[in-house]
Amino acid sequence: MRGPHLILLALYALFILASGSRAVVQIATKFSVAPLAYTLSAVAAVTYIVGWFAIRRAAHGRPRLAEVMLWVELGGVVVIGTLSLIEKQWFPDASVWSGYGQGYGWVPAALPVLALLWLHRTHDRTPAPNDEEVRA
Amino acid sequence: MPASLLTSIAWVVVGYGVVVAVAGGVGAWLRAPRPRWLDQMAWMLEALAVLLAAAGVGWWTHGHRPSSTSTFWGYLAAAVVVIPVTLQSLREERESWSSGAIAVAAVAIAVVAWRITVVK
Repeated sequence: MRGPHLILLALYALFILASGSRAVVQIATKFSVAPLAYTLSAVAAVTYIVGWFAIRRAAHGRPRLAEVMLWVELGGVVVIGTLSLIEKQWFPDASVWSGYGQGYGWVPAALPVLALLWLHRTHDRTPAPNDEEVRA
Repeated sequence: MPASLLTSIAWVVVGYGVVVAVAGGVGAWLRAPRPRWLDQMAWMLEALAVLLAAAGVGWWTHGHRPSSTSTFWGYLAAAVVVIPVTLQSLREERESWSSGAIAVAAVAIAVVAWRITVVK
């Protein structure tokens, strides 16, 4: 299992920890303050969990889940990031993807882009035998 | 436990975390197999993180309270668990990219230590 995806997996694991613990604390202690933002933090945490497994599967030659999940994640960052800027009253407190992940140094915006670049570099060159097996 | 001691330890962790991150990043950049000394540097960072967590507990037991209690304890716990989990997940990998994964963990520890100085 060699390759730059090891760095991606480490980053995803960190964001599972960061966004997951943030969502749990916010929902448990002050959910009524910003229910939409805190729910979206939980959604982000779940996305990172699925993304971690998707990248791991892709590294083993099964890229289908990653092809879907990474675009879902990128879409989430763009849509929620944009909404947090134009509909500020919806976000009295920040979610993980507010301001395109501004609170995390914009790493949440860069992460799916880097993962998609890795996915296309590795899987555009080589067929995915396991996915072919699944389809067959 | 004076607040200044916790802050000082946190800044030592930040500085050493940056050193480990640079070492891991250079290792990944050079595409060299992960050297044993990088693991040892990471475990040294873990020792400092444990010291930071102990200082945080001592700071708390002396009656100090952070601006956000749950965040403070979350940061202390994260500082302690990140390096062992990373090294355990990389135990079969000695390739260059695994040095990059250690660099990511070291950056995370540095950020967490810095955040501890902010929320305390």
